[in-house]
Amino acid sequence: MIFFAGASLTLGGTVSLLQNMPGDFPQRPDRVLQADYQQSNRFRGYISGRLETFLAMATDSFGNDYCNYYDYYGGDWIESTTEGTATVTQELVPWEGMPLQEQAEWEEWYYNQGIYNDWYGNWQDRKDPPTDEERAQRCRNIAQRYHDSIKKDQNLLYSIAYNGKVLYSNSELLPMDGQLTAAEDYNFLLQYAEGKVRIFKDGIELDVYGDGYYRDNGSQWYVPGYRNFTVDEDQKKAVIYIAAAREPVLYSESAYGRSSYRLMDNGLYWMQYNITVQRNLLIHSLICLTAGLALLLAALLCRRSRREARADIARFTGKIWFEAKILVGILVLYLTFLGIIMWLGQSYGYGDLLYIMEETACWLEEGEYGYDLSYMIPSLGRAVCSLPAWTWLILFWLLYFAVNDLRHNKKVWTHGLIAKLHRAYTARDLDQPLPVKTARRNAAAFIAAALFGVLMLAGGVTGFVQGVRNGGAVWGLGILFFLILVGFLILQYRIGVKNMETARDLELLSGRIRDIRNGNYAGSNALSGDSAGNSPLAGHDLESTMAELEDIRHGMASAVDEQMKSERMKVELIANVSHDIKTPLTSIISYVQFLKEEKELPEHVQDYVKILDEKSQRLKNMVQDVFAVSKAASGELPMQMEELDFGKLLRQTLADMEEQIANSKVTFRTEIPDAPVMILADGQRMYRVFQNLFQNAIQYSLDGSRVFVTLQADGCMAVASVKNTSHQELEKDKDFTERFTRGDLSRTDGGSGLGLSIAQSFTEACGGNFSWETNADLFVVTVSFRIAENAVAGGAGNA
Amino acid sequence: MGDCVLVVDDDREIVKAIGILLEGEGYEVLKAYDGLQALDILSSRQVRLVLIDVMMPKLDGLSAVMRIREKQNIPIIVLSAKSEDTDKVLGLSMGADDYVTKPYNPQELAARVKSQLRRYTMLGDINAGNCADELQNGRLLYRTEEKTLYADGEPVKLTATETKIIDLFMRNPGRVFPAEEIYRRVWNEDSFASENTVMVHIRRIREKVELNPKEPEYIKVVWGIGYKMEKQEKRI
Repeated sequence: MIFFAGASLTLGGTVSLLQNMPGDFPQRPDRVLQADYQQSNRFRGYISGRLETFLAMATDSFGNDYCNYYDYYGGDWIESTTEGTATVTQELVPWEGMPLQEQAEWEEWYYNQGIYNDWYGNWQDRKDPPTDEERAQRCRNIAQRYHDSIKKDQNLLYSIAYNGKVLYSNSELLPMDGQLTAAEDYNFLLQYAEGKVRIFKDGIELDVYGDGYYRDNGSQWYVPGYRNFTVDEDQKKAVIYIAAAREPVLYSESAYGRSSYRLMDNGLYWMQYNITVQRNLLIHSLICLTAGLALLLAALLCRRSRREARADIARFTGKIWFEAKILVGILVLYLTFLGIIMWLGQSYGYGDLLYIMEETACWLEEGEYGYDLSYMIPSLGRAVCSLPAWTWLILFWLLYFAVNDLRHNKKVWTHGLIAKLHRAYTARDLDQPLPVKTARRNAAAFIAAALFGVLMLAGGVTGFVQGVRNGGAVWGLGILFFLILVGFLILQYRIGVKNMETARDLELLSGRIRDIRNGNYAGSNALSGDSAGNSPLAGHDLESTMAELEDIRHGMASAVDEQMKSERMKVELIANVSHDIKTPLTSIISYVQFLKEEKELPEHVQDYVKILDEKSQRLKNMVQDVFAVSKAASGELPMQMEELDFGKLLRQTLADMEEQIANSKVTFRTEIPDAPVMILADGQRMYRVFQNLFQNAIQYSLDGSRVFVTLQADGCMAVASVKNTSHQELEKDKDFTERFTRGDLSRTDGGSGLGLSIAQSFTEACGGNFSWETNADLFVVTVSFRIAENAVAGGAGNA
Repeated sequence: MGDCVLVVDDDREIVKAIGILLEGEGYEVLKAYDGLQALDILSSRQVRLVLIDVMMPKLDGLSAVMRIREKQNIPIIVLSAKSEDTDKVLGLSMGADDYVTKPYNPQELAARVKSQLRRYTMLGDINAGNCADELQNGRLLYRTEEKTLYADGEPVKLTATETKIIDLFMRNPGRVFPAEEIYRRVWNEDSFASENTVMVHIRRIREKVELNPKEPEYIKVVWGIGYKMEKQEKRI
């Protein structure tokens, strides 16, 4: 952000500084920046110009040069002009370097005074040059008009006397006796007498002449009186006072009802106005520049956040379509180009946009007839400089964003309309079967070839026609073209047909592979071929590949068959064994029961019986567990899947085992959400899973420790976990779910060693995930299920 | 007393053990060691109940049950080492009245024999008293007027709360009730941790009603959903 502001201010400041910098700024910045307009060069020029004008007015030669100009162009005669008056005229119309407003006013003045018409009307038809008296009279007329036009501007007081007689004056304030008592409001006074000038500012006389030599470098007052810059005797008789206001104001004379109001000369006012404006602008620019540089420095110091900001910007710009970026770039380039052309048009007087466009087109098309570039380049530079600051800002930031975008976003072109279309096409292409894909690609290639061929044919026909017209050799070429085209198309078609065949075979092949992957190992007629044993791919490119795949299939089919058979046998074996064990076990349990009821047995025998009873019960449980595990592992366990609330299942299981838990030395802490967490599972089996887990926790936990039972609905998964602290050190890298593995190796206590194994196989048979991990003495079992889909909304809503 | 029970199993020790068990309960016990022998005894003696194993030489248990059913309507309990549901269903569909898996719990076996015999002998009574206010489910009978539950014809002592739960269950056999609903309908108030309270009562009722409270036949937990009274097939 800091960087953004800093760079903007710096750039804006620089541009506006460059655009508003007066010529003498680098040499005398103090003069430009000071507030007193009377200190400016322009004021000096103005005052010295006025002095010369007044001198001319005093000596009746005002406007002479101007008139001569029209004399010259109006008639055939030529009048030589003195250098002095030439200078006067030149200074009288000081266009050069003047702000446009002032220039316009001067031009307007000349025209409005009717001097031109007057002169033109009266003198145009004359064949002989005017006499001196006529000239003097004419000059007096112009001078009087000039005086009339400027006398109301009280910013500049003047008094012009010749031979001791006051000719023109617009003020009572200026004394003619040489006493310099200017009013308070007028702090600048110039006195001209005897060919010398004295200047007082704020009552203090300035050193006008210095060493007495005039050097044309702008540092001195351009007034007569230097040793190398004097006036003639005639002009020495003149005495002129000029006073300038401290704070010029705008004078105007209303002419209500007639036309509009009339502005006075107001030269000083506008001068001060312009100087103030320019000065303010300059100061603004400088402040901008300084602030910008300071901010840039600050930004340099916190480079990291800037990098982040850049990355942020890049992330944002990365979202914009590439095409839009290109479009903006082209637009900007075009606008810039258009701007330059318009500026050129303005500079060279072609205001009409249409004309410019035409010219541009011309110029673009036939560079050699257009503008000479070498002649355009310097003006181009000026044009570029004169563009307003905000244009520069826009250009700069666009460029900055573009570079930033390119730097941070890899492959900017992948995010765009064309890229999207391409991706969409490719994605749709992926879903299609292979032959369709190949057909589409073939079609595209064929169409391209055909188009190319048609073009060639057109060429050939043209050649043929031309050949016929020219009566000659070219038409043979046309026929040759045609033949090549036909041959080319036939070749293309053959290749396409062959490709299609291969694609169909590939589709068959991949379908077969998919079958095998999905576990369908049976051979199918479509592939094993007809009764004669011919493969449908006989003679095709992929025949041998197909045969190899068939071999693999056979191998896998027999391997799977064998595995299935052995698995079935294992289950049968376990079923038989468990049945065979159960029958004698029934007798054992029965007779142990009778023994238990026998009251007369000695105490130690009753102990033996008790042990027998416990162990026989354990054996019974074990046999049942082994049977269940083997069935679950072989996938033959019948399942009754239904939607049930996982949380409720846990609560019910805990409630069911409440007595056992209460009698144990561990406490259960539960964290189960009240909202239903619906899963799809076999409730009876899952009850068994958690019964086993809780039993394990009770049995193997450290006395007085806590067992944590939690359930979390995590997105689309319901995750239940049972954590307990083992009373024995847990062996690392031990698979506790392996059958007959137990926390302790002695196997003296009740468990069958199948608890976790059953829990795992039951969970997996229900479609859940079962995992466990140990962390020091912490034993964590996690059972997770996918939340049933139609219940997700309700569950999430309640959660 | 003195009801005659026929025990059939090829394992002589088991037959003997059951003999001791049932004679201790006051029954007269006849013994057979294969299916054919059992049919012989049935044709010559007045037998009130048959306990029969499935896997036997000469004539297996299930075939024997079918043969017995051709002539007699006495209760038959199948005793088998095959513990799978499919085996149980097969046995019951062949005409057996009950299915007990080996290794059996002696007390449970005795209770089942008693239950079957009571139902068989009291059949007439039950039919006679079959009124509108009686709800029958298997060996359970609930009289809504008296608010009394009978198991095998004998009244079961239940507390007020237990009776309310049984009332709910017997009126809606087969329907699953979440613990919250049971709590709301029995205790007439809403509750959060209702699972434990309900479960305690369910367990107590089971101990009074079920023959083997660890493998209940009537009052079942539908894990992850609620509790229900299992609807038993009505046998005459």
